[in-house]
Amino acid sequence: MKRGTVIRLIALIGWLLPATAGAQDTQLPTVLVSRQLAESERLTVGSVVRLATDASGTRSQEFRVGGIYEPTPDPSRLGQVPRAVRLHLPDLLDMTRPVGIPAGAEYISSVNVALVNPDDAHQFARDVDARLPGVVALPSGEAAGSAGPFRVLERFHLAIAIVTIVAATVFLLALTIMLVDERRETVGVLRLIGLPVRRILAQILLEGLMVAGVGAIFGLVLAVLSEQLINQFFQWRYDTALVFVRVTRDVALTCVTIAVPLGASATVVASWALLRRGGLRLARR
Amino acid sequence: MTALGFAWRSLVRQPARAALGVLGVAAVGALLLDMLMLSRGLIVSMQDLLDRGGWDVRVSAGDLPGSGLRVPHALETAEAISTLPSVQAVLVIRSASAQIDRASGLPLRTAFQGVATRSTDPEGARLRAPWTILRGRDADASDELVIDERIASEFMLEPGSTITLRASCVADLEALPATRLTVVGVAEFPFQTTNESTAGGTLDALKTACGGNVGHDADLILVRSKGDADGTAAAIRAQHPDVRAATNTEVVGRLQQTGFTYFRQISSVLTTVTVSFAVLLIAVLLTVSVNQRLGEVAALRALGFSRLRVVKDVLSESALIVGIGGLLSLPLGLLLAAGLDRILKGMPGIPVALHFFVFETGALAVHLALLVATAIIAALYPMRIVSTLPIAATLRDEVIG
Repeated sequence: MKRGTVIRLIALIGWLLPATAGAQDTQLPTVLVSRQLAESERLTVGSVVRLATDASGTRSQEFRVGGIYEPTPDPSRLGQVPRAVRLHLPDLLDMTRPVGIPAGAEYISSVNVALVNPDDAHQFARDVDARLPGVVALPSGEAAGSAGPFRVLERFHLAIAIVTIVAATVFLLALTIMLVDERRETVGVLRLIGLPVRRILAQILLEGLMVAGVGAIFGLVLAVLSEQLINQFFQWRYDTALVFVRVTRDVALTCVTIAVPLGASATVVASWALLRRGGLRLARR
Repeated sequence: MTALGFAWRSLVRQPARAALGVLGVAAVGALLLDMLMLSRGLIVSMQDLLDRGGWDVRVSAGDLPGSGLRVPHALETAEAISTLPSVQAVLVIRSASAQIDRASGLPLRTAFQGVATRSTDPEGARLRAPWTILRGRDADASDELVIDERIASEFMLEPGSTITLRASCVADLEALPATRLTVVGVAEFPFQTTNESTAGGTLDALKTACGGNVGHDADLILVRSKGDADGTAAAIRAQHPDVRAATNTEVVGRLQQTGFTYFRQISSVLTTVTVSFAVLLIAVLLTVSVNQRLGEVAALRALGFSRLRVVKDVLSESALIVGIGGLLSLPLGLLLAAGLDRILKGMPGIPVALHFFVFETGALAVHLALLVATAIIAALYPMRIVSTLPIAATLRDEVIG
């Protein structure tokens, strides 16, 4: 592993005290602190902090804040304010090395490897597994365990969407039956003046398509407008840069693909029962 | 005829549209019930899980039990806690990763929980580990363990069988010594997740499995108070300022502020959307329905029906659609909740016994209140139409039209 690699100090326990600034501050090793931690502890670049691995502060060490960073949004830590410090790996190992363990014999949790050819990831992982017993190598895509919960949430949201669509379809059908019934006389007159059922049905279908199309566009505009609001609310609520709602082209296409045929079909299905009746019966008051 | 009977006849006269309206309300109502069950489901379920076994205070090194940090000098800490006058018993839990060897193929990775009880109270000394024995008995000796159903079925083990286990108490990468242990029972572990298996035994059994290399720390210390959990937690905090002691309710409160908020937020958003959707659609259905019957309503007014009476008819019609739909939504909602719960429990790290959707009478009461409000709000505009209907002009329009 390259020296200077920074990793997150997860095991750091609540021992973070601003220390007095001195002439030797510039000699101190530097750390990065998360924006949330900097805000809560009022830390700025150049502040000197003391870090320890336990609450009693044994083996504490001073560091200078070299920078403040915005943590990479982590879906699996939603709701937890990321108060984190990033140290250079050698500094972290110096702090966490158990007494009696020589330098270089410590454990590290993971090593990230950038391959010349990313397509070789699976083969490289297999080679490492074969050559280094006790080490598990995984391509990044498979190592991202945090994606799991969100795949489940995706399925959950899909199930909710299906129920909503079913409810909307039922209501839509009820509504179109009533609206079609309102135009019973008009349809009866059209039949009496000689328009074939197919011609009237085509007209109704066209009308249904237009109404459903306009409705779908209105829905998309509403979704795009509310996207910003929802993201801003949840980003404020959880103090995160995560994006919660994104109306992508695929999402928009899926919505239109479902909404327009559904609306048009509801109109046709509701009209069909009416059109099967005779023109005279329909026109009769 | 009462307003309700009259409204019933109006609905029956148009069975297709009435049935569709009712079905729509049933679907929306089911979703609404589920969202209400989801809003507190995790909290109620987690509280239930924590309360099982009667341990009412949890002592850990991190803010939340299971944070990965360990309580140092756990046995000494447990012994000191057990001397507090409000404490009945203390249970130290130390967890280690282990592998169970198979005759052929890769070993099964499992968690091995070792527990030790400390108590100065004769009642407390009899308290058992926080798992439930399904078959056989609990493990007492240092060469005994209990296993979960998954291990039992995968290895075809029953009480009396022996297994070869390699446990690792210090670091995952150490060379694991093989130990033969006797299975004395099959148990259900409350916080076991869907994708893991667990074995349990005494702390001495864990020491045996780890070749004595178990250290002095523990993952968690469970405490059973003599009734005053809050006072006990405060006493432990005063006695051991370096550890975190929290009652089960406080643990749930902390979880509520972190991991559970997403589901509460999504539940609030979807409840609002669902109710608005239901109000809008029922209002549209009733308005269109009333508009189609304006002549009929005007005729009834001309025959002597009071303004209040026709308003009541519309309200009753709304109440019938929402009422019947609401009734249907209860079984539908419970079925849907079971399906959605199954989906969400697919998340890694979720205990098998934890449920996202939990039925509570409170949720049912809110559901009913929201449906009643929906029926009233949705009927407001059509009620206004019939109450302000000019009788003569409407009848004339009907005749001329």
